[in-house]
Amino acid sequence: MAGNTLTQSRCSLEGKVIVITSGKGGVGKTTTTASIGAALALEGKQVAVVDMDIGLRNLDVVMGLENRIVFNVIDAIKGKCKIRQAAIKDRRIENLYLFPASQSDNKDVVKPDEMVRFCKMLRKEFDYILLDCPAGIERGFENSIAPADEAVVVCTPDISSIRDADRVIGLLYAKSITPKLILNRIVPDMVARGDMLSHQDVVDILSIELIGLVRMDDQVVVATNTGLPLVLQKDSTAGEAFRRIAQRLNGQKDIPIQIPQSTKSIWKTIGQKLGLGK
Amino acid sequence: MINGSSSEKSTVRLKGVREGLWVTLDPNQPVDILKADLTKLFAQAKHLTHNAHVILDTGIFDAPKSLTDELTRFLKDKFHVESVSPPKQETTERQPQTLQKYDMDHSWRRQASDALIIAGRVRSGQKIQARKHLIVLGDVNPGAEIIACGDIIVLGSLFGTALAGQSDQEDAIILALRFRPIQIQIGGIVAAGLPESGSKTAEYAHVENNAIIVEDYLTSNPFNRFTWPEIR
Ligand SMILES: Nc1ncnc2c1ncn2[C@@H]1O[C@H](COP(=O)(O)OP(=O)(O)OP(=O)(O)O)[C@@H](O)[C@H]1O
Ligand SMILES: [Mg+2]
Repeated sequence: MAGNTLTQSRCSLEGKVIVITSGKGGVGKTTTTASIGAALALEGKQVAVVDMDIGLRNLDVVMGLENRIVFNVIDAIKGKCKIRQAAIKDRRIENLYLFPASQSDNKDVVKPDEMVRFCKMLRKEFDYILLDCPAGIERGFENSIAPADEAVVVCTPDISSIRDADRVIGLLYAKSITPKLILNRIVPDMVARGDMLSHQDVVDILSIELIGLVRMDDQVVVATNTGLPLVLQKDSTAGEAFRRIAQRLNGQKDIPIQIPQSTKSIWKTIGQKLGLGK
Repeated sequence: MINGSSSEKSTVRLKGVREGLWVTLDPNQPVDILKADLTKLFAQAKHLTHNAHVILDTGIFDAPKSLTDELTRFLKDKFHVESVSPPKQETTERQPQTLQKYDMDHSWRRQASDALIIAGRVRSGQKIQARKHLIVLGDVNPGAEIIACGDIIVLGSLFGTALAGQSDQEDAIILALRFRPIQIQIGGIVAAGLPESGSKTAEYAHVENNAIIVEDYLTSNPFNRFTWPEIR
């Protein structure tokens, strides 16, 4: 497109839709969506997080906003309310808005093309629209990937999660979406002992771009229970990892990925550092 | 061989052969049932059917020309096959070919490729079927399935499921640079959960005395014993 690049970057740049998906349930999609959404908003971006888990809403609880829901995303899509009415502003973080799922509906009430139209409107208002995809590869998944420009696949270091992530990656490529990988719930001591697959093992199989490694961290549960966003917690390794992931997604490519280190095995640590330079 | 859904008996069978797709059907069945069964099988083998040569075998029965014409039109319109023809009488006996085989200078000349060669990673949930041999330049992930009527060669890691020699060619082999399949089948023989051999070199599986054996390819290469290079 020709034209004034400056005005273009200011006005006509539409927001980006990123789907957070995994195939397998319970691997950390909702945690990731809430954390990256919060971190991007802290970077000064206008962010919408959308709970696509219609019928099993979760994201509102993780963000501590469940008591503010009046309208939900289905109401907004179906025109029962204005889009603004369904957007719940975060309590602590500026520029962060939640579109909660409906708890009563079924995933089939929305069609992929309705999602595309809905996101088209959101793109005008927000810099980033994060879709918290439900587990599985059925309608909820289709609805979530239909409008997506990018995809983040969340995976844990276990065989079944990897298998499902791999399936999802194939389906994303089939839709011409290039997925990026977050490995969640890493326990460095177990990796050091050989009881858990290393991130390298997982990347070898999935062979997509890695954008972050997140430790198993008790603060994740604390954050959910207190409603204080993980990325605002000072001593959360997971929160720190998600902040860096958000920066990477936001175009800061040179931020290195930190490998969670075992506290016990110093030799392993040195070995891995040497290995990185290769 | 690909049959229709295993629960109900299909009136049509489909098999990949050197010349193309060999379709065996019972011409005494109603044409609508034949079409439905053909659709089921051809839809499954989608990437093989486009521009394929179909050999329509009606077994011991003679099919009326009206039926073969109708099915020919049907397959061409619906699945874009290149041609449909009856089986040639001599295909079962291949005398001339045996002689030709030893003519080093000419035997390959007329051989069109029998191998499907694909490059890339085959992921969980993906399934690739080759009419004859299958060569994968890349890895086959756990949960992926690769199927061939002939040999399977993976120039990469084989972690998924591989079915060679389908459905009854037990002389087929499966070879991979890194051989860690979840399950393999050669002909009708199944081997599941092969133990880690820890081998760092290429290994291959073949059938010996009704069992699947996995061996180091370089040290026990079975083809070195052939007196002449042969077409697989
Ligand atoms: N890095 C982590 N450390 C510790 N616990 C974690 C971590 N990531 C996620 N969890 C916990 O795992 C559970 C599942 O996480 P989450 O709800 O984010 O997964 P999900 O993929 O959204 O699940 P679903 O498929 O049900 O939507 C939660 O209890 C969460 O607190
Ligand atoms: Mg969730």
